Formats: sequence, structure tokens, C-alpha cells
Amino acid sequence: MNNIKLTLRVLLILAVQIVALLGMIGIKQWTLNSGTPVILETAPIDPRSLFSGDYVRLNYTISTLTLDPLAGDKEFKRHDTVYVVLQAAEPYATPVSAHHQMPQLASGQVALKGEVEYASNTRWNQQTRQLEPVKNLSVHYGIENYYVPEGSGRALERPVDNARVSVRVAVDRFGGAGISAILLNGKERYVEKLL
Amino acid sequence: MRDQKYIRRLTRDLPQWVERGWVQPGAEQNILAYAESQHTGNERMVIALTLMGVLLLGSGIITFFAAHWAGMSKLVKLLVLFGGMSSTYIAAGITTARGNLPRLSQGLWLLGVILFGANIMLIAQIYNIDSHYPNGVLLWALGGLLVAYVIPVQATLNAAICLALLWTGMESMDFNRNFHWPFLLFWLACLPLIYRHSWLRALHLALLALLLWSSFSYSNILWDYQGSVQQGAPLYLMQIYFLGYLALFVGGLLLEQREDTRKLAPITQHYAVFAALCAFFALTFPEIQRSYTWLHGAEGRMPANAVWLGVTLLAAAVLAALVRKQQLARPAAPVPTYLKWGRALLAALLALMLVNLFLPGSAGGQMALAFNLLFFAALVWLLFHALHSGDRTLLNFSFLFFAAWLLSRYFDTFWTLLDRSMFFIAGGLVLMAGGYFLEGQRRKFNQRIVQAREQ
Repeated sequence: MNNIKLTLRVLLILAVQIVALLGMIGIKQWTLNSGTPVILETAPIDPRSLFSGDYVRLNYTISTLTLDPLAGDKEFKRHDTVYVVLQAAEPYATPVSAHHQMPQLASGQVALKGEVEYASNTRWNQQTRQLEPVKNLSVHYGIENYYVPEGSGRALERPVDNARVSVRVAVDRFGGAGISAILLNGKERYVEKLL
Repeated sequence: MRDQKYIRRLTRDLPQWVERGWVQPGAEQNILAYAESQHTGNERMVIALTLMGVLLLGSGIITFFAAHWAGMSKLVKLLVLFGGMSSTYIAAGITTARGNLPRLSQGLWLLGVILFGANIMLIAQIYNIDSHYPNGVLLWALGGLLVAYVIPVQATLNAAICLALLWTGMESMDFNRNFHWPFLLFWLACLPLIYRHSWLRALHLALLALLLWSSFSYSNILWDYQGSVQQGAPLYLMQIYFLGYLALFVGGLLLEQREDTRKLAPITQHYAVFAALCAFFALTFPEIQRSYTWLHGAEGRMPANAVWLGVTLLAAAVLAALVRKQQLARPAAPVPTYLKWGRALLAALLALMLVNLFLPGSAGGQMALAFNLLFFAALVWLLFHALHSGDRTLLNFSFLFFAAWLLSRYFDTFWTLLDRSMFFIAGGLVLMAGGYFLEGQRRKFNQRIVQAREQ
């Protein structure tokens, strides 16, 4: 292999790998720029899951869905793809239906694509201390982790007093989502920027 | 760097060895030339120290950036990541062009691939990309495969195969894919490189990865997490594995016929025979033949559906075609007797496996008996083949599986019949006596192979 050929080959490797890496950023940025923003309410995280280094684990009220009051499909299995239709509302977007395929959306709605982590036909009622026959899903949307400067994550995972943590999410037309801002008491605490 | 002390001693001793007739006259120059061309412990020490130095330097750089990471803007972070990866690839290109430090250049190519993977993870962190995480490992593996194709460097292909194995492991175990087919596409994409460059380490890794992929798929089918698998599917899959790996073994025999692929033949044959024997051994168990599971209850399996039937027929057809090709490719010499009855054995096995697809679980006991008889016959055939081809690994496999088969049948037969203490006492005695006898026989056959080679 002569030197020119070798140089071209090195450039080819670099070009392909850098384009792949930039592609990761580009796809995410496209979702953030073109997506419809909705505000999602966070729920307290499982106290057993520890704060992991420099990222916060976010749990949303839509992370656990009760299917009975929702329209759409009712039968889901673990690892199924699910499209959850959210209706923009104040202060938080609310789920209206769940589907296996991307549904037709009405005005003010977005469909958030997720993966079923667990599907169950029963739910434990803390008050009656009995199992209830309720279809429910635990869904992973790919917006559950957010990297923050070291040492500032605990305030978001375990907000004190009446502090409310909510998340502004951009949802693109394919159901892909990205966190565009973390809000503390309705005010922007962290905002995603390209550079 | 050569071992000068050793060379001086050789220079002094060789004339005496020639004089005493231990070394043929004229060969001493070849011996000296060989000794001078060899790498020594000193050189390895230099390489080890250099490697440690590189690792220390790398750790220092990583620690420095980790300490200042939070304070950097995204742009600076990207420049650091892309700059590090680019300079590594450029350095790898320069050392490759010079050609005087082949190991360093291979190490740098590998480091480039490692940095590509690190960049995937760090960019995912910087931009909060939290998607289907096995895709990140797939992207990394593809990056390694790209370098292996473009340069080509075996170390990067090895890394790509390991990463692809990790990827399919995640998809299979974390996401319960019954059959993670895309892995096979990646695996097939590695083969042209392995065969073109005769990369033996990569072949070992690729075959090992295929075996592990097979076990991941079998495990998912067995536990049926998706609730979508037909009763008896683990049995039908095991039959397909047997046929598939046997076809790979015959493929390995075909590799022997060509000069450019001969080096790859024994490795391919050994992995294929091991996997085929594992599958065949599993088929000798009545429990697997009946397919009574806690999921499907005591009814056992039902006859196979069209999909399992179709795939089994396809595997059998591929095997038959390869056997036919191997027959035609053989030199025009009398066919050894063991090969003739090996074909009859294969035909009987194929017939039994096809019949098995249409039987319910209640026939499992009889089928297990038939498979046991054929398994024993297959081990005897393998012993003949090992002796005929002078392959000691195949010989050891035949003894290993014979011992395992004997032990498991002893457990199956006498566990319920004998008193527990009697079971263990008799079992221990049988194991000791049988082990002594089998080891003696194995050594005897091994000796025959060694003697045949020397002649």
C-alpha cells in the first residue's frame, strides 16, 4: 500500500466515523429543533435507586400508565413499542391514548414513542393492601437520564419542600423525544444547547 | 534485539554437533540464521515497558480531561474528542507507512477504535442521548469492522467481533430477542476478511461468538419470555443446530481441499464438531425429547409447525449439498470404509430427525433411545475419522463426549433404581475404573496418531 493510498484510507475512516458521531448529535438536535414542546410532570424516583454520578434519573407521571381510562390499544407485552398520545394542557401534558402504531393526531396532541418495560394486569393498592385487576404499563421513553454538572443532581432527584421539577420535552413527528429544558418551579434550570 | 549470548554459544557448539553427527553438515548456518531472526525476552520487555508507558500516559490524559470536563464548553469537548481520535488514526497511518513498528501501528489502530467507542459514549452523555443502548455498541462494532476492512488490521476485527457479541448479548438477554438475526449479518460480514487474510485469532473469536449467539437464542426460546414460541421449539431448534453445525464441519472439510484456506480448516472443524456434539448430546435426553416444561405442563410437545419443518428441511438440504460437494472435491482415491458407513449413519440421523418433527411428546422415550444409539455410533465414527485424519483434538472430543454420555446415562438409569449410598459408591467405582480405561485408550490412540505423523 503506497502512502497516498494509505492517507486516503485514513481519511475515509476518519470521515465515516466523524460523520457517524456528528449524526448522533444531528438527529438529537433535529428532534429538539423541529419537535413540538410539551411539559411533563416528574414523579418521585424510587428511593432505592441511587443517584448515579453526574446524571439525574427522571421518573415521569407518564412512566407508569393505567390503560383502562386511556383510549387505543389495550394489549401490550414487554419490549413492545408503544406510542403514547399526549394532549398539551396546563400545567402538564396528559396522556389520552396508547397505541402499537403511530396514530392520527388531533390538534394540540403529540405521540411519544416508548418501549414497554413491564406490562401487568394487576396493581398493588397501597390503601386497600390488595391486588387490583388493572392493566398498566411501565414505559421507557429515552428521556429518563439527564447529565448535569457534578454535585447538582440531587436537588432535581430529591426536591426539597414544595419544589416542583418538570421537564420540557420536544417530540418530533416520529415520536422521538429529547429533553430541551429542566424546570424547577416552572423556571428553566438547565437548557439544552447545541454548543 | 537478539539474544547475543545464546547466539555466541550456538556458534561455539554447532561445529561440535556437526562433528558428532547430531546436525547435518551445512544446517548450522540455517540454525544460526533462525536464532538471529528470533525475538527475545529483552525485546518483549521493551514492548511491555512501552505498552505500560502508553497506558500510564493515556490514564494521565484521561484523568486530566475528566477533572476539567465539567468546566469545558460543548465545543471544546467535541474538539478534544475528535482531535484525540483523529490524531490516533493519523499516528497509526504514519507508523503503518513506515512499517518498522508493526506492533505499535496495530496497537494504534486498535486505540483509534477504542477512542471511537469512547466518543460514542461521551457524545451520548454530552447531548443526553438515551436511546436503545445496544445501538451504541453496534455503532462501535461497525467502526471496528470499517477499520479492519480499510487497513486491514486483525486486532480491530477481533475487537469488532467482541463488540458484536456484546451487542447481541444485550439484545438477547436485556431485550429478550428470541432470534437476534442481525448478528448473523454482522458475523457473515466478518468472514471475507478472515478468509482473505487467514486471520486465525479472528476465526477463533468468530466461531466462539457464533456458539454463544446460538446459546443465547436457545436460552430465550427455552424460557419463552415473549410467550410466542411453539411447544417443543427447543427440541426442534436443537435439531437445527445439530444440522447447521454439522454442515459447518463439512464446510471445514471443504476448506482442507484448497491451499489458500487449509490453515483455517482445523479450527472450523473443531468448533463445528464441538457444537454439533453438544447439540446431539442434548438430543439424547428423554426430557428434551418429551419437552415437558413448567411452561407447557405435562402434555409435552406437539408436532412441529410449518416454520420449524421448513427450517429443518433447509438445514438438511444445505448439509446434504455440502456432503455431496465434499464427495466430488475429494481426490480420486478409494473411499475409506468408515466414510461409507458415516454416510449411512448421517442418512439414518436425518430420517430420525425428520420423523421426530411429526411426533408428540409421548414418543419422547423411544426417540431418546434411538438418538442414544446413533450418538454412540457417531462417537465411534468420529474416533475413526480422528485416527484417519490424524486429528488429536477430534479424538479427544470423542472421548470427552463418550465419558459425559456414559455418566449421564448412569445417572438417568440408576438414580431411581439404586439406594443413594449404593448409587454414589457404584458410580464412583465406575467413574474411576472407566476413567482409567478411557484415558489409557485415549493415550494409545494419541500415540498412534503421533507415530503415523512421524512416519
